[in-house]
Amino acid sequence: MLKYTIKRILAMIPQLFILSILVFLLTKAMPGDPLSQAFRANPNLDPAVLAELQEKAGFNDPWYVQYVNWIKGLLQGDLGISYIHKVEITKLLGDRFVNTIWLGLATLILTYLIAIPLGLIAGRYQNSWADKMIVGYNYVSYAVPLFVFALLMLFIFGFRLDLFPTSGSVNPQVEPGTWDYFLSRIHHLILPALTGALLSTVGTIQYLRNEIIDTKHKDFVKTARAKGTSEKNVYNRHILRNSLLPIAAFLGSDIVGILGGSIFIEQIFGYPGIGQLFITSISQRDYNVVIILVMLSGFLALLGTLLSDIILSIIDPRIRIEN
Amino acid sequence: MNSVDVNVQKSETEQNQAPTGIHVIWRELAKDKLALFSLILFIGVVLFIYIYSFLLDQSAVTTINLRNIFSPPNAENWLGTDYGGRDVFGQLVIGARNSLTIGIVITLVTSFIGITLGVIAGYFGGWVDYIIMRFIDFILVLPTTMLIIVFVSLVPRFNVVNFIFIMSLFYWTAIARLIRSKTLAERELDYVSASKTLGSPNWKIILFQVLPNLSSIIIVNMTLNLAGNIGIETGLSYLGFGLPESVPSLGTLISYSTNPDVMQNKWWVWLPAAILILVLMLCINFVGQALKRAADARQRLG
Amino acid sequence: MPLLKVEDLKVYYPIRSGFFRTVKDYVRAVNGISFAIKEGETYGLVGESGCGKTTTGRTIIGLNKATSGHVYLQDGEQQVDLLNLKRSEFRKYRSDLQMIFQDPYSSLNPKKRVKDIILEPLRNFEHLTPNEEEERIVEALEKVGLGRDSMYKYPHQFSGGQRQRIGIARSLVISPRLIIADEPVSALDVSVQAQVLNFMKEIQKEFNLSYLFISHDLGIIRHMCDRIGIMYNGRLVEEGTTEDIFNNPQHLYTKRLLSAIPNIDPQKRLENKKFRDRIEEDFKKNFRTFFDENGRIYDLKPISETHSVAIP
Ligand SMILES: Nc1ncnc2c1ncn2[C@@H]1O[C@H](COP(=O)(O)OP(=O)(O)O)[C@@H](O)[C@H]1O
Ligand SMILES: [Mg+2]
Repeated sequence: MLKYTIKRILAMIPQLFILSILVFLLTKAMPGDPLSQAFRANPNLDPAVLAELQEKAGFNDPWYVQYVNWIKGLLQGDLGISYIHKVEITKLLGDRFVNTIWLGLATLILTYLIAIPLGLIAGRYQNSWADKMIVGYNYVSYAVPLFVFALLMLFIFGFRLDLFPTSGSVNPQVEPGTWDYFLSRIHHLILPALTGALLSTVGTIQYLRNEIIDTKHKDFVKTARAKGTSEKNVYNRHILRNSLLPIAAFLGSDIVGILGGSIFIEQIFGYPGIGQLFITSISQRDYNVVIILVMLSGFLALLGTLLSDIILSIIDPRIRIEN
Repeated sequence: MNSVDVNVQKSETEQNQAPTGIHVIWRELAKDKLALFSLILFIGVVLFIYIYSFLLDQSAVTTINLRNIFSPPNAENWLGTDYGGRDVFGQLVIGARNSLTIGIVITLVTSFIGITLGVIAGYFGGWVDYIIMRFIDFILVLPTTMLIIVFVSLVPRFNVVNFIFIMSLFYWTAIARLIRSKTLAERELDYVSASKTLGSPNWKIILFQVLPNLSSIIIVNMTLNLAGNIGIETGLSYLGFGLPESVPSLGTLISYSTNPDVMQNKWWVWLPAAILILVLMLCINFVGQALKRAADARQRLG
Repeated sequence: MPLLKVEDLKVYYPIRSGFFRTVKDYVRAVNGISFAIKEGETYGLVGESGCGKTTTGRTIIGLNKATSGHVYLQDGEQQVDLLNLKRSEFRKYRSDLQMIFQDPYSSLNPKKRVKDIILEPLRNFEHLTPNEEEERIVEALEKVGLGRDSMYKYPHQFSGGQRQRIGIARSLVISPRLIIADEPVSALDVSVQAQVLNFMKEIQKEFNLSYLFISHDLGIIRHMCDRIGIMYNGRLVEEGTTEDIFNNPQHLYTKRLLSAIPNIDPQKRLENKKFRDRIEEDFKKNFRTFFDENGRIYDLKPISETHSVAIP
């Protein structure tokens, strides 16, 4: 097990390495460097000073020198500085990263809170009207684009019904650390998280439904029934135990999906996370920040798949051997 | 042929094969009322959009008329006007046409790349397959949306062709994987071996023997991908990193809703576009899912 | 000079694993076999499932890569080694060797009409006008007992036996000299098997074909073959005429195979069972004597002009 995990982690390194070079070169290829961008905003600055600053920032070195310096910094925990905000990226990221993690967690929890009961009901009462409704919901949620759905949710529940705030992660007037502060955060979190969750249930519902329908006809379930186990116990003891565990394997791909959607969710709900930061940074050509954000997302996505694979390999040891 | 043989033929054909081909899928589709309705609605909307936008005076739609800003829906402007006094309905039709066309082109390009690489990987196997698959694995874990946005913002003279190219770079992998796995199964069948012993070169076997057997999977996949690609394009355009300004998309119209006042009070500017996307997506998906079920059933039978 | 001569053929399948797909071991599916097939002859290859028969057939016809060895095909006065030919040179001999596949359901492309199925080899080897093509197709179909109207039908509209004949028709249009038939009737209804086998014998005479006939069924082998090779674990353990093998089996493995043929005579059933048990016991006891000190099955040694056995 440990050997498999280590192997998988080692296999991540070349991927991160290639991604880092790719992103680094891409951002270097962007028109205009952030210094001259900042310079334009402040015309009083002397062009000679700009040239000197550019030289000092290493913008004139060959790309591989810049790349090596950047990687060295990264490994020492120095993410560089944002030229637009004039702060260290670690500082800039701090709160937003935490915000995104909260949003992601809330989305994940809501996803399972919705998907697991629906999957179980659909599987247990196959072909009932409830099952048909759930299957219908699945088709629709698979088809609907996230950003359109998010906008409609915001429009209806945020603007029209005025049930939820339409932007931000917390009411700026409340004192941090208080109960109200916590409630305000939750209040800001619910709508974006619910929006994301409603569209990320497809995989889990479908899996659970199929699994339960299959398991119903397996021998050990039939034996249990023949022995006179009550229908309720058949489900609780035999079917659930076998069907629920593999859901954990979806965790990784769910994380990747939710991360991918966070750009839209955060932008639409005005939620200050790394997705929103990404859009602002790219518009301002703050490429030091852009590159860190892409790397971070790539890293988290890899971590998600790693998690899935490891969980899968615990559940089903054959996978380890195959790899 | 004697009578025994005739009997055998009857029983064997009955148990072994269903007739193959597109018309079976059609029959299945016709049975599915929702899918049939979706198909008709989709065809109707698409025809309307293309014909109407063809007849439309585009410059009239795009000229700014400051005396008619944000007017609500009325007899002249069915869906009102936007911040520049431009007719929303006209923009909706043009945007829908652009989004559909781009979606179709991206689907064709990604399918072409995906099918080509997938069938090559699956058919030849070995190190060719290994390299293509590692490449796909790599692309699959990339933060795709972010990278597309990075690409879009760094291309100097950004235009539609660039956009299609950038999108296609990332979205061919799923179909490639699917086609590869199906080809892997297909190439083990004796008809491929037979073709080899009958002197057909590999490219002919791939094109004329293997691909026809994947046709229903390809059609299903392209249908579902079309919906997905329209969704992605409009989403990126909504963020401002999709189609260039000269080519408005449905996402462009929706992006006016970033202004809370428009979102709240001038719903006629963005809501119709959002609903149109929804309708198009649902129609395409319902048809696609019905096709998928039909294709699967066929495979189970034969 | 024989039509086909296989010399010390070895086919190893690599077993790969790990991130870099390195070769960890081999499946020695065919491990050094030699035999020859004369013109107009049917050579049978028998053995239990997994002993390497299919691999042998597919390697001779070029569907699998040989690890080492030679496959000589007679071409006029000389012999060419098919395994050492460039692709372009091999094309010349492509049509000399053809194959009848085991599964009549997967060996015909379900998306093609019979017409297109038979056209495939014609288009590859000859340049004909549409009219000539049609003539040739009808001719081929008639040879295998199918009418002109079959042309526009799809494979699923035929029975297994008919499909197998369509497969044969497809091979015949390019006039092969040797046909490799890998369990050609084992997927068919018993009632149809004899028909197809007899049909194969008919066209053999008509076109002076040679067969490499692969089967695990000794009854069918006896019915079809002039000479027989008994295969075990990728090697030949005995080879001889049908007479030699059935009336004078030498290798214990051959005896065991023969004893397993079901006897139709009910009175002899018990007697047979006893005999089978004795052979089985013998086989288990003497199993080790099949192999030399390196764990290899012995090479064949001639014990008469036609008959050879792998014993020390
Ligand atoms: N493509 C392959 N890769 C690895 N092993 C194979 C492959 N094909 C066959 N084998 C193995 O080679 C041996 C011989 O197989 P085969 O030639 O099909 O035997 P037969 O036709 O006599 O049943 C078997 O052990 C089989 O598992
Ligand atoms: Mg075999």
